[in-house]
Amino acid sequence: MATGGVVSDLDKGDVLGPVEYTLSPFVVREYSHAVEMHHPCFQGREGDLVMPPTLIHLDKLRLYKDACPGGTGPSARIHFEYDVEVFEPVRVGDRLSVRGDITDRYQKNGRDYVVLQMELTNVATGRLVVRYVDRVILAYRSAEKAA
Amino acid sequence: MNAEKLEPGSEFSLAPRPMTRERMRWYVDAQPTIAADDGRIHTQEPTIHDDDEYARKQGLPGIIADGMISTNWILGLLIDVYGPAVAGRCKLRTKYVAPIYEDQIVITRARVTGVEPSGDGKACRLDVWCEDDAGTKLTTGEATVFV
Repeated sequence: MATGGVVSDLDKGDVLGPVEYTLSPFVVREYSHAVEMHHPCFQGREGDLVMPPTLIHLDKLRLYKDACPGGTGPSARIHFEYDVEVFEPVRVGDRLSVRGDITDRYQKNGRDYVVLQMELTNVATGRLVVRYVDRVILAYRSAEKAA
Repeated sequence: MNAEKLEPGSEFSLAPRPMTRERMRWYVDAQPTIAADDGRIHTQEPTIHDDDEYARKQGLPGIIADGMISTNWILGLLIDVYGPAVAGRCKLRTKYVAPIYEDQIVITRARVTGVEPSGDGKACRLDVWCEDDAGTKLTTGEATVFV
């Protein structure tokens, strides 16, 4: 188990969170603005706003902050695959709980890869609303070149 | 729903966009801004997405775009075509097959590959991708939307 250290030490079997938060209109609008999704469901009136499914990716940072207080580690990560399934809308004001499981860590061509599966649950209903699998390379430079 | 949008083989795209330094920085600074969720703008330490020197230290030739920008552009295209319900129920998987560098032209595309009954409606399967102005794939993936 590597939780409590830095992100680059995370290993298969590690559990991150759960972390609870309430989805705010500021977060939905700010994120959507940054990626130029100017649709009313993301940047309109507060009562109309829903969470962009891509926003789950930033919940990873909530989990890292909680589980890896030492920060990133020696190298920048490269995110290379995003894989989401959304089961029902997540609305502004919803109380949410996110949990992460490191389901794999492996080496390929001298690089370390980590797979994180995250589940987002609506606290009031207890229902799973989003499942997300995030795949990263822990360092762009291969271990051989970095040595 | 326009029936044409449901036909296998139907293809949609966004207007070409250059991946500018500003677009990369918008995403970088959105992350701490969203983490703080206090209505103010926050900025980040140097990253591979906004600082050339830091990117070169990590083995890159210069800054590269965060892959989630292209994923969000794909999501935006799906919402343009199929409406806001996509944000409340969908599957989307993207893989970053080539780095996107500063000033590279990015064209976001989707093509319907299948339509099948699902509950009271239909499930549309699509290939989704971003390519440069020479047709080289930068991001690839697939999506399912429910209409």
